[in-house]
Amino acid sequence: MANLNINAKKKNTYDAIVIGSGISGGWAAKELCENGLKTLVLERGREVKHIEDYPTATKHPWEFEHRGQVPLAVREAYGRSFLREETLHWAIKADEQPFVQEKPFTWTRGYHVGGKSLLWARQTQRWSDFDFEGPARDGYAIDWPIRYADIAPWYSHVEKFAGISGNKDGLPHLPDGEFLPPIELNCVEQHLQGVLAKNYTDRQLIQGRCAHITSPQPIHLQQGRGKCQHRNLCNRGCPFGGYFSANASTLPWAAKTGKMTLRPDSVVHSIIYDEKKGKASGVRIVDAHSKEMIEYYAKVIFVNAGAVNSNMILLNSISERFPTGLGNDNGLLGKYFTCHNYRGKANAQVEGFLDKTTSGKNPSNGYIPRFRNVLKQDTDFYGVLHRDWSWPWHEHQPGWHRGRPEAAIDPSPTRQLECERLDARRVCAH
Amino acid sequence: MHRRKSIKNIALLAGGLIALPSWAKAWSLESLPLVSAPLNPAAQNTLALIIETIIPESDIKGAKSLGVPAFINLMLADCYDKKTVDNVEKGLAAVESLATTKYQQNFTNLATPQKEELLLSLEKGSDTNLKDFYSLIKNLTIQGYTTSEYVQTTFLKYEMAPGHYHGCVPVKS
Ligand SMILES: Cc1cc2nc3c(=O)[nH]c(=O)nc-3n(C[C@H](O)[C@H](O)[C@H](O)COP(=O)(O)OP(=O)(O)OC[C@H]3O[C@@H](n4cnc5c(N)ncnc54)[C@H](O)[C@@H]3O)c2cc1C
Repeated sequence: MANLNINAKKKNTYDAIVIGSGISGGWAAKELCENGLKTLVLERGREVKHIEDYPTATKHPWEFEHRGQVPLAVREAYGRSFLREETLHWAIKADEQPFVQEKPFTWTRGYHVGGKSLLWARQTQRWSDFDFEGPARDGYAIDWPIRYADIAPWYSHVEKFAGISGNKDGLPHLPDGEFLPPIELNCVEQHLQGVLAKNYTDRQLIQGRCAHITSPQPIHLQQGRGKCQHRNLCNRGCPFGGYFSANASTLPWAAKTGKMTLRPDSVVHSIIYDEKKGKASGVRIVDAHSKEMIEYYAKVIFVNAGAVNSNMILLNSISERFPTGLGNDNGLLGKYFTCHNYRGKANAQVEGFLDKTTSGKNPSNGYIPRFRNVLKQDTDFYGVLHRDWSWPWHEHQPGWHRGRPEAAIDPSPTRQLECERLDARRVCAH
Repeated sequence: MHRRKSIKNIALLAGGLIALPSWAKAWSLESLPLVSAPLNPAAQNTLALIIETIIPESDIKGAKSLGVPAFINLMLADCYDKKTVDNVEKGLAAVESLATTKYQQNFTNLATPQKEELLLSLEKGSDTNLKDFYSLIKNLTIQGYTTSEYVQTTFLKYEMAPGHYHGCVPVKS
């Protein structure tokens, strides 16, 4: 019996365990496997194989019955979340994981292999010393234990592998990185860039740096990834591997080493704490299908379950030493987290440019780096409420002037109405 | 030539309707409403005529032959709350009664310019319910039309994978 147990324990023992297969878990798996560690990756959701498991990736607009809109009867199951027909297969139904909302909270979860790396907007700006030093300089929160110089080489390490496109803009508060060729700004953005440059010394408009391969390097080709095709259908999963996702990049890379065991449908329940050694020694999972509880062991345990779920796992990891959750001596686990602020919005209409348009789709967007509280605290709030402004939406096709000849020959209501609305371009920012 | 241009421009608006990325829009979602029954046959008939008037058949296919009326009926049944669909029903009835008071005819029997005049009067009028009704039908017509395979591939240079992005190129007619 004792022998059997030892064998079972041995079978379930790895050098490292990674909890979660999203952006950070994928990276952890890659780095650990490349360094020769036998690594178990535990993922609560289902397997999503690159290309094979992107069911809508090559569907045409007219192939969606409701042209993308999700029927109300279907919506009902999902609660408050953004839903599209094209990406419904990534959404979480409300009853799969109900949660208390005292104020409305749109909690986007990616419960599948790859996590939110399939859902993210792929913007990849570096932090600078102004970000790391802000709390210490202006006297709020807790000083960061690291500075930009500590992390800069890691930015480079990740950028080269992931493939980041951008301009070298030479801004101290938005450091340049290892960039593939930039994506162009459109006419209106170029115009705004010029106007800002003329009127301000502290405000710039640049192209947002993004995790898209604009010119594949050998390291990308080795991953089986190619050039971004400018389809902007990224969140369906990209069969070209044009943008960085764990599914297209880090996970297959880790698998190729032969060191990775990926176990989907494995909900990590808690971390096992060895009271004698005073160390974490393994994890407990619940198999999503059999509901069986299984233990796995390793010396290295990397919690990469996303902000909320990582906290939940730690809170669930109760031992004599940590009666309120692993690492929760200060009682702060699971409290005070923040979400990207999408509510601040501005928009403008820009006259002209009617003879210009764009061709292909821009997977990035124009970007205005932070310009308040940079060199010193110049506002009555601390840090940065809005690190930056980016605008994801432009009407950059030609407008249609009332009085232009083609309007006159077309008296039908739609066309006349269009004329009134579309004689200016709109720019939206958030 | 001009027609081609027109279609391209209609696409603009349709694009505007759907272009906001998911994460930007999520905040403004309304809470969930009740689904309603499909429109009655008479209302469907008026609706089809309106759709046809907005984008008529000409030397190129119009909304009717591209199946836009069926698309809009499906959208109204599946994707809009009861309040909105009720307002569409009222709007359709109002179109019929306006036809009778203004032209002493059914909407079906009006000549195209009269139909257009009537529809434009909804847009320009002061009745916000009628405006909402008309703007919804107009937008859905444009959406259904411009996302059809025919319009996408024939006029909008639809490409599944453009492979490039040029930010500032001249408009070619
Ligand atoms: C719409 C959207 C747009 C975004 N845009 C950007 C952007 O432009 N730039 C940017 O830098 N960031 C962006 N983000 C944020 C970015 O996606 C996340 O910061 C990033 O994915 C976090 O990585 P992660 O590995 O911590 O978590 P995730 O990528 O979420 O991965 C966590 C994984 O852990 C799994 N998991 C959770 N609980 C358990 C459990 N108990 N047991 C086992 N597995 C578990 C999940 O299923 C998931 O696969 C965006 C996010 C969203 C939602």
